[in-house]
Amino acid sequence: MFPSKKPTNINPPPMCVQADSGLVLTTDPKPRLRWTVELHDRFVDAVNQLGGPDKATPKTIMRVMGVKGLTLYHLKSHLQKFRLGKQPHKEFNDHSLKDAAALELQRNAASSSRIMGRTMNDRSVQVTEAIRMQLEVQRRLHEQLEVQKHLQIRIEAQGKYMQSILEKAYQTLAAEGMPSGVGYKELGDQALDASMGFPSPHDLQLYGGSDHQVMDLQQQMNQSLDGFLLTNNSNNDNDNACLGKKMRPHHPYMNPNEKHPFLWDDDLQVQEEASKSDQIQVAPPDRGEGIDDIDDVYEAKPAAGMLSADQSAGLEKKFEGPSSHGWHQTDDDRTWQLRPSKKLVL
Amino acid sequence: MMQVAMEEARAPSGCSSTTTTIDDHIMYAWTDWEPVVADDWGPFSAALTDDFHDLIDSMIHADHIFDDSPAGDLFSLTQTPSYDSSPRSMTIGDSVPVEADVNAACYGGGGDKGLRLVHLLVAAAEALAGPHKSPELARVILVRLKELVAQAAGGGTSIERLAAHFTDALQGLLDTGAHAHLGGRSSVRDGHRSADALTAFQLLQDMSPYIKFGHFTANQAILEETLGDRRVHIVDYDIAEGVQWASLMQALVSRPGGQPPPHLRITTVSRGGSRAMQETGRRLAAFAASLGQPFSFSQCRLDADERFRPASVKVVKGETVVMNCVLHPTMSAIRRGSAASVTSFLSGAAVLGAKVVTLVEEPEEEEEEERGFVGRFMGELHRYSAVWDSLEAGFPMQERARGLVEKVILGPRIAGAVGRAYQEAKEGEREGGWGEWMAAMGFGRVRISCFNHSQAKLLLGLFNDGYKVEEDGCNKLVLAWKTRRLLSASVWKPLPPATPPCPTSPIVPVGILALEGSDFFQD
Repeated sequence: MFPSKKPTNINPPPMCVQADSGLVLTTDPKPRLRWTVELHDRFVDAVNQLGGPDKATPKTIMRVMGVKGLTLYHLKSHLQKFRLGKQPHKEFNDHSLKDAAALELQRNAASSSRIMGRTMNDRSVQVTEAIRMQLEVQRRLHEQLEVQKHLQIRIEAQGKYMQSILEKAYQTLAAEGMPSGVGYKELGDQALDASMGFPSPHDLQLYGGSDHQVMDLQQQMNQSLDGFLLTNNSNNDNDNACLGKKMRPHHPYMNPNEKHPFLWDDDLQVQEEASKSDQIQVAPPDRGEGIDDIDDVYEAKPAAGMLSADQSAGLEKKFEGPSSHGWHQTDDDRTWQLRPSKKLVL
Repeated sequence: MMQVAMEEARAPSGCSSTTTTIDDHIMYAWTDWEPVVADDWGPFSAALTDDFHDLIDSMIHADHIFDDSPAGDLFSLTQTPSYDSSPRSMTIGDSVPVEADVNAACYGGGGDKGLRLVHLLVAAAEALAGPHKSPELARVILVRLKELVAQAAGGGTSIERLAAHFTDALQGLLDTGAHAHLGGRSSVRDGHRSADALTAFQLLQDMSPYIKFGHFTANQAILEETLGDRRVHIVDYDIAEGVQWASLMQALVSRPGGQPPPHLRITTVSRGGSRAMQETGRRLAAFAASLGQPFSFSQCRLDADERFRPASVKVVKGETVVMNCVLHPTMSAIRRGSAASVTSFLSGAAVLGAKVVTLVEEPEEEEEEERGFVGRFMGELHRYSAVWDSLEAGFPMQERARGLVEKVILGPRIAGAVGRAYQEAKEGEREGGWGEWMAAMGFGRVRISCFNHSQAKLLLGLFNDGYKVEEDGCNKLVLAWKTRRLLSASVWKPLPPATPPCPTSPIVPVGILALEGSDFFQD
């Protein structure tokens, strides 16, 4: 409990309990009512019975509570504080969590200053209020964490399911005897565990900072999007244009002899919908350089000096910082992976 | 330059009766437009981002000034499009008092080309179905459009690709009539999911919250409504690949409280070739098995007239029936259902005794007056430009990926949308969302919970800042890109045949734990 400021505390605790009504009054010169948790709970019950803090009046509360020694004065002030304390509850529904937390902090600050200004005897009540408001904030934060947690596993589940579809599709293609996306197969489990990263770290700070979680998820997500790419399906069906590429010996970025996750078989062709002459050609024509296709989807890390001027300019910017751009570089296979960027700085 | 060109163009639309004259004028006009290039606009040419959506937006709401986009500010000066006044009677001539001096100040390279493309597209739409209809004029305009977009070698800009799809759609209307497009040429055919389509679908999911928003919102509502039920039966209007249900199953097995998940049965409405559906069902069953979720799958067929008959759904006693209606097929083998089909499905909810109906659709922009084809066409242009912009804003470097998504998924949908706009304009149908229809039919609204709303906000937070969630009424969440509403997810309760409507139902948010001692804070 809150220690009395009185230096001499030889006697039994500064409170004495009045046996009949159960009220706790301090032994200070000015007897003040101490709102214990129990008493407060009864108060809350009564208020709820009466239809909420706005409907209840000190008189009715007093009647319902039926606690001897409780005066209207006590109830009036407590009810007022209670009503104030209730407000954050409503506001959480309207504002974003950040705003609400900020409001809470403001309110706490305000009440802390109020605490300072009051006499010590009121302090316990004020501090209790502040603590309760903190609890409220925490509860809301916890709620948000729950939402976040569930969202994450749902996204993961969907990603796994998509993976199964894609795997099936590629197997079918392979079975049908068409050259399949070797790159995709080789990606194996990595691909398509499309768990998206958590919201940006600044949001998470409110949640008591589960930064390691953020990193984890972002890792996962980077790995997952890995697959995407260049899902090279070399479907020879004329109806489909492929992102597939032909490996050329003069490939600027990759040594064709290297085993690279995104290598494709030599006989993969880029197919355009050239046959559909009555349609607008919107797909870029085969530029003859495999890398260009990768570029625009999920970029491969360019070998130094191999970039064309504008590409290097573009990539320069990407190097600026992982948090502000859509690109992450992984350690191993020198590929850029995609992270949807919240704020893309160009 | 623009002014000159526009003046030239004014003539043809005014005398559509004399075709030969039109042709002459047009030929003259087109060649005259040739020399207008971005360089003419000097220092402004490279400055603007291709915020095409704002461009179109500014054309539709000419009074509206966009502060966030430089292009928007500039266009407000031009008052180029007085399209807002009377979209129905739009002709090129009426609309373009482009001031020569304004030109010098305004247009960047992208803006200029974009504006030109939009004008041409609208002109073509006008020619196809406006008050001065002329298929020949339309044809010529489309030829010109194709030239312009084809010029963009190597993929072109976003605007060009968007314009290309719309050009394509209009061409299709011209060639084959609207009917081909009612089907919405999907690159996905029954029984065969091309890897391209799947790739594009996955890309779309990764690049935008578009798909997940609808699915997750609907699923959360379903979770809440079926809390405590032992058997859940979902009747799905368009299962597509069944992607929606993967996350629902996961959520069912992950419910706090540790109770075993309810038995989940999914009945999908099938049309014709059901091999793909069986495959989907197998896949879902396998997934469910991997989670330990009891699951069964069945199909029910639509009638020959595409109507849904509740009787064709087997209902087990004691199960909670949920109707799920996702009307924005991105991965669907089926054509977008006809209005009658959707009507029959939604109406069947009451007959089947469904507890809740979840609806995901593309909302129409509120238009008080009935719009003709041109107005609807512009609406679709506006909508898809927003989608384009949203993808580009999030992934500006990944042109190839976006190009694939645009080609495989969005392009066919544009064609379908344009076709529908044509058909509906012709038949004088009053467009309105299915949500409005349901409200009118007396469906009750089921409140979207805080949990659901928070989930949507968090989901959007994973993507670009431009996405927003709005609440519309108590039972609808809307995903918007900047100012344009793209998708809405709403939750409804069908009326039991004889009881009065119950406006809300209490929702128990799933997954919210109460802290100890926090009773203080509960209402």
